[in-house]
Amino acid sequence: MHKEAAIREPLILGDDVTYSKITNDVLHAIEHEPTKLWKVLMTIATIVAIWGVCSILYLIGVGIGTWGLNNTMGWAWDITNFVWWVGIGHAGTLISAVLLLFRQKWRMAINRPAEAMTIFAVFMAGTFPMIHMGRIWMSYWVFPLPNQFGSLWVNFNSPLLWDVFAISTYLSVSLVFWYIGLIPDFATIRDRAKKPVPKLMYALLSFGWTGNAKAWQRFEEVSLVLAGLATPLVFSVHSIVSMDFATSIVPGWHSTIFPPYFVAGAVFSGFAMVQTLMLIARKAMRLEYIITVKHIEYMNLVIIVTGGIVGVAYATEFFIGWYTGVKYESYVYMSAGAATGPYAWAFWSLIFCNFITPATLWFKKVRTSLVLTFIISIIINIGMWFERFDIIVTCLSRDYLPSTWRMFFPTFVDLGVYIGTLGIFSVFYLLFLKYFPVLAFNEVKTILKSSGEKYKNMSDEEFKALHPVFKKDIK
Amino acid sequence: MANSKKYWKGLEQLNEAPQFLEASKNEFPEEIPVDEFLGDKNSLESSSTTRRDFLKYLGFGVAAASLASCESPVTKAIPYLNKPEEITPGKANYYASTYFDGNDYAPILVKTREGRPIHIVGNTQSSLTKGAVNARVNSSVLSLYDGNRLKEPMINAVASDWATIDAAIIKDLQNSTNIKILSSTIISPSFTTIISEFIGKKELDEKGNIRGYNASNWVRYDAISYSGIIEANVESFGQNLCIPTYNFKKAKTIVSVGADFMGNWLDALMYVNDYAQTRKPENDWMSKHFQFEANMSLSGSNADVRTPVKPSEYGAIVAGIYKAIGGNINAPKTAYDNQIKKVAKALLATKGESIVICGSNDKNVQVLVNAINNLLGNYGNTISFDKSSNTKLGLDSRVAELVADMNAGKVDAILIYGIDPVFTMGDEFKAALGKVKTTISFASKMNDTAAACKYVCPTHHQLESWSDANPVTGYYSLGQPTISPLFNTRQAEESILVWAGNKTTYYDYIKQFWEKFIFPQQSASLFFTDFWNKSLESGVVEIPLNPIISVENFVFNGDVAKAVSAIAAIKGGELEIELTQNIAIGDGVGADNPWLQELPDPITKITWDNYVTMNPSEMEAKGYNTHFGQEEAMNVVNVTVNGKTVNNLPVIAQPGQAKGTIGLALGYGKKVGNIAELVGKNAYPLVASTKDGISYYGAATLTNVETTEPYHIACTQVQHTIMGREAIVRETTIDVYKEGNKEEFNPTPVIEVSEGGKLVEKELKAFNLWGDQPVENIGHRWGMSIDLNTCTGCSACVTSCIAENNIAVIGKDEVRRARTMHWMRIDRYYASTYQNVGDIEGTLEKTKEATGKGTTFSYQEMESPADNPMVIHQPMMCQHCNHAGCETVCPVAATTHSNEGLNMMAYNRCIGTRYCANNCAYKVRRFNWYNYTAYKLFTDFNPSQDDLGRMVLNPDVVVRTRGVMEKCSLCVQRIQAGKLEAKKAGSKVVDGSIQTACSSSCPTNAITFGDLNDTKSSVRLNMENDRAFRVIEEKGQEPNIYYQTKVRNLTTEEA
Repeated sequence: MHKEAAIREPLILGDDVTYSKITNDVLHAIEHEPTKLWKVLMTIATIVAIWGVCSILYLIGVGIGTWGLNNTMGWAWDITNFVWWVGIGHAGTLISAVLLLFRQKWRMAINRPAEAMTIFAVFMAGTFPMIHMGRIWMSYWVFPLPNQFGSLWVNFNSPLLWDVFAISTYLSVSLVFWYIGLIPDFATIRDRAKKPVPKLMYALLSFGWTGNAKAWQRFEEVSLVLAGLATPLVFSVHSIVSMDFATSIVPGWHSTIFPPYFVAGAVFSGFAMVQTLMLIARKAMRLEYIITVKHIEYMNLVIIVTGGIVGVAYATEFFIGWYTGVKYESYVYMSAGAATGPYAWAFWSLIFCNFITPATLWFKKVRTSLVLTFIISIIINIGMWFERFDIIVTCLSRDYLPSTWRMFFPTFVDLGVYIGTLGIFSVFYLLFLKYFPVLAFNEVKTILKSSGEKYKNMSDEEFKALHPVFKKDIK
Repeated sequence: MANSKKYWKGLEQLNEAPQFLEASKNEFPEEIPVDEFLGDKNSLESSSTTRRDFLKYLGFGVAAASLASCESPVTKAIPYLNKPEEITPGKANYYASTYFDGNDYAPILVKTREGRPIHIVGNTQSSLTKGAVNARVNSSVLSLYDGNRLKEPMINAVASDWATIDAAIIKDLQNSTNIKILSSTIISPSFTTIISEFIGKKELDEKGNIRGYNASNWVRYDAISYSGIIEANVESFGQNLCIPTYNFKKAKTIVSVGADFMGNWLDALMYVNDYAQTRKPENDWMSKHFQFEANMSLSGSNADVRTPVKPSEYGAIVAGIYKAIGGNINAPKTAYDNQIKKVAKALLATKGESIVICGSNDKNVQVLVNAINNLLGNYGNTISFDKSSNTKLGLDSRVAELVADMNAGKVDAILIYGIDPVFTMGDEFKAALGKVKTTISFASKMNDTAAACKYVCPTHHQLESWSDANPVTGYYSLGQPTISPLFNTRQAEESILVWAGNKTTYYDYIKQFWEKFIFPQQSASLFFTDFWNKSLESGVVEIPLNPIISVENFVFNGDVAKAVSAIAAIKGGELEIELTQNIAIGDGVGADNPWLQELPDPITKITWDNYVTMNPSEMEAKGYNTHFGQEEAMNVVNVTVNGKTVNNLPVIAQPGQAKGTIGLALGYGKKVGNIAELVGKNAYPLVASTKDGISYYGAATLTNVETTEPYHIACTQVQHTIMGREAIVRETTIDVYKEGNKEEFNPTPVIEVSEGGKLVEKELKAFNLWGDQPVENIGHRWGMSIDLNTCTGCSACVTSCIAENNIAVIGKDEVRRARTMHWMRIDRYYASTYQNVGDIEGTLEKTKEATGKGTTFSYQEMESPADNPMVIHQPMMCQHCNHAGCETVCPVAATTHSNEGLNMMAYNRCIGTRYCANNCAYKVRRFNWYNYTAYKLFTDFNPSQDDLGRMVLNPDVVVRTRGVMEKCSLCVQRIQAGKLEAKKAGSKVVDGSIQTACSSSCPTNAITFGDLNDTKSSVRLNMENDRAFRVIEEKGQEPNIYYQTKVRNLTTEEA
């Protein structure tokens, strides 16, 4: 018995889509010479990445003083970038794990690139807590390692330590989840590969996948288990990151609303980043029939919801700032600190980028427009960077003792490290687009309704011509 | 040409002895079997060095090489072969000594470690200073290790040796008929005798050595002149008087007109402790301090009532006060009648118990000041000529005479000691100096004058010298060397002795002098050796003298009418400049000391620069930038006074600066010096030198300068008001305090909660998330109490902390970037018009009222200081919270709580996440942004970057490396040492036996350190005092540092 919701549109568009077309299209990049566009992008990304690496080396060689931090502001762009990248790294696992549990089949078209983005973003995020340390060469001390230093142990009270566990757990689970999904696709590439080296490489990567029914059954089960494991992580990671701030006593940081607010913000920014990348990839790789406007719209819907949560969180912070009458917090939120003070520009940029701009997505025309979605997604990404900048820099710059109030001024090293991580991220992502199956095409095939749709839309005559024996039974 | 010489190893080789030839063949006893293993190709090929072996050896080689390169450098500690009796490695020795630099006098205690002086505190046995030192005194230990000190005597800028230079000088002096000595005020009685002997004798001795010169003359010159006071005293009382001593301890009313008597005026170090004792509201009475001044000075910032006036009005104000207390004169009109009336009322109510002083160098003004004090009956009570001060003896007229003589070519030779007149008097003096044939400077460091002198005979640093002092009649002190001379220098005293042909060493001389003059005056010791040893040990000798002037002879004879008419003739300018000294640099003595250059000025909080101060409202009218932020570009001006111009000075906003005036600090911009030449501009050319003497104010004009590069200033505090946060600083007025209701002036922090629909106030402890620290009432709990009433903001504690804790100097650019490393800072808050506003709603309403605008969420009015703000100084260092924010957040537990209540920092464990600094509500944590001890940015000024400068480091405190956090440790090294002493003595730690660097150097004893668990300790008593509060206590961090509410001697209405 096959029941079909009449209103549900197909997830893959086009009448001529066949299984082999999907395979060919997805693997086109891997099996052909890189395109000119890819080469140009890769060159740019590499240059930026090298700039970033040089900035990081300079930073490590000379000291944190090369950043613009000061006695009042122990953190600024470093942790802003960290939280920003972690936030971006949220969409992938949410798409692959949460949507898997909810049996949202549309996720299949986007989960692979989103997960790749997650992994790379978390790599970038992980860079910052490392390089922001004054003594990076001692960074392994954050792990509870047995040691010869006596009874030295880590401080389990510290949210930074929780961060270490949260991020590393999240990264490893995401990585495993991503890799498990890649195995059948790697096997397909292996089977199609003609040159010996790629064949060997993909053979190694695919772990001897045979594609038999038992393997698929286990694959499904493992996916489900990992999805179950990964789902709480989606919420825990950013909750814990938010506790870096929420458990402190800095006015403006010390706020119980932070965990849900940060998770929503992370999903918000993660989806925006997926949109940005996806809109480019689907165009460049001609996968518009798999990653359809429908997907874009669905993701925009997620953005509306999470953006709404973030908006409510802003309002709540302001309300509490006023309602509690705590003058430190009130000052940070409502006065010269944020709204009218030296950082007003950052605050209003945030409101514009994260509140006003996403609100336009309530219009169907906007959220189904690819160009507008692309622009909005970039604005949201900028806005989410400002949100973290606002939280960290504004609050630190105006804390308890007015005698210590200071401003933050970034240096070229701050800039180099930040832009550099964008470059490194891009290099990874471009390599992924070239050498990895960008879509989970074996899974996508399960939602291809080419045959069904085709039969459904056939006239009786056509059907009869094709299958003289059977009757076309629509009922 | 090829070298054809041949060298033989011995006769054997030359003779080609057979034994030698045989032996040389067998130089290597065994043949090295090279062929054996390399010659035979087959065996080589069949050898069994496998690939694995190769990799093994390669691996071992690489590992061994890299291990070897990882080895940390070995620092050798060499034990004494013969240990000096008094030195125990690891144990500090203290020596009493004396500091006098021509300006500040302080008996001191020098802490030495393994023969190196490393720290200076005041000698509390002195009843003059009572242990007071200022930042310049305790920073002087660094100047000892200044690599730019002269290492050799010099003739015409070429290094020489003492024998040569002595011969040359003696010859030159022999050929001179008119020899002058130009020196700072010298308070050493033995040195004075040496000079007078040098001047007085003229014959050659029987061996033909020089014994002195005829018609020689000695001129004393103070860089900052007090000649007006001396002349006025001579005129007023008709006797050969100089400067009186002031007894601030007895003064119930203090009126200072432009005299910064807590900072730089006269013998400030003799006044501050006495002054502070009258500022405690617990006492029966509290002194009332009125200050009239143009610039905001340290004294002005501590005054109860401060009135900004122009410097040209000082005379008129003094005259007005004289008239108001009953003087019969026609005082010129001033705009300050109200204030003068209040001052007069207070003065008349405390007759004989008041002090009126004035900072003017105008004799006429000082005559009137004397008239006031005379009329009030202060002489003999609070002001005494019986004990007269010798620290300022320069007379402007005699200096002018000397310069005229020099210009006229009447001077053949001049000896310059202790001053830098080319710097302070400028080209005028340099030109005059050029006309003197023989010029001798005793400068220990190259300075502008020494550079212009033929002979430079560098004297020792004070810590290398013997010295004595007679700062006040009847009061003596001794200075002893605490280290052997580091360079080939010689004490000036000794040089003059040599040139005078006296063979005695200065040490013997000083001993003989004391034996002859001071020993007979006392009766406590029978033998001189005993007396000498005791004096050397205690450093000070105080012998009460009979009054110099009997009361009957003490009659005021000043010509008041003449003085008043002279004052009435003083014309003010539209814009007047007042030239001052700041706390760190003084008259220029601190200019070459990086600690002092980096010490924030107590008022402006600016480092590494001098600048024009101006009232913010006037700056706004001129469109000048009134902000202080790290990237703010300051407006730059040229200042012209009397036709002389100082170029490119930044203008900064100084609330409380009298309108129509600007201020500028002297002492900066030396042309010759290590760091001094880079810092600031020399303002001495602006000092007006008239026939009546020198005056430190004048009509000024400003010219704006367009700058291509933005001019930045390095300011350590850019927000100046308290923003209505009384939890940070508590202050009240005397009437509220005297009512005795603690909740009125120092309310206990409570939190309001709703219980059963009602608002209930609960104590903080009810909301504690933490268990109590197990330190309360168990063992020690170290804590500190800081009295905001007696803290003057003088910053001696800051430099003391720098010296004790090896704090890095980071230079102007890094200070500007808010990375000061000082563990201790002094927060200075100006009152804004909305200072005393309680809750936030009230603030908003007041703001609305004041601005008439619906600025519901605007705090901007609170952010700007009032036009003439009250000031509060708050020393701020690690608060050693029992529930510390920093301790919880460190991921590696590098900062933890000791079981004695200290918040500790394990540098070795720190990985530098800076989370602790973020979570510190007091922002007292300091991060090592760079490797300050090696990185090239800091080479020019961080003393720890050269071997000599490193000698000042305290070996008890580790020098922190790059990337770790540091902060105040409450001088844990001293606590440990104190505990060990107590343990050895088998007793408990006695209260007061352990002092932190800051508490030991506080001239007013505002800082008390001790054990809070010791119920009888003074710190515990302070903690239980009604005035005690903790900064932002409502956050529940339970700091161990207590502050005492500031009580101003004002009524609520006055405030």
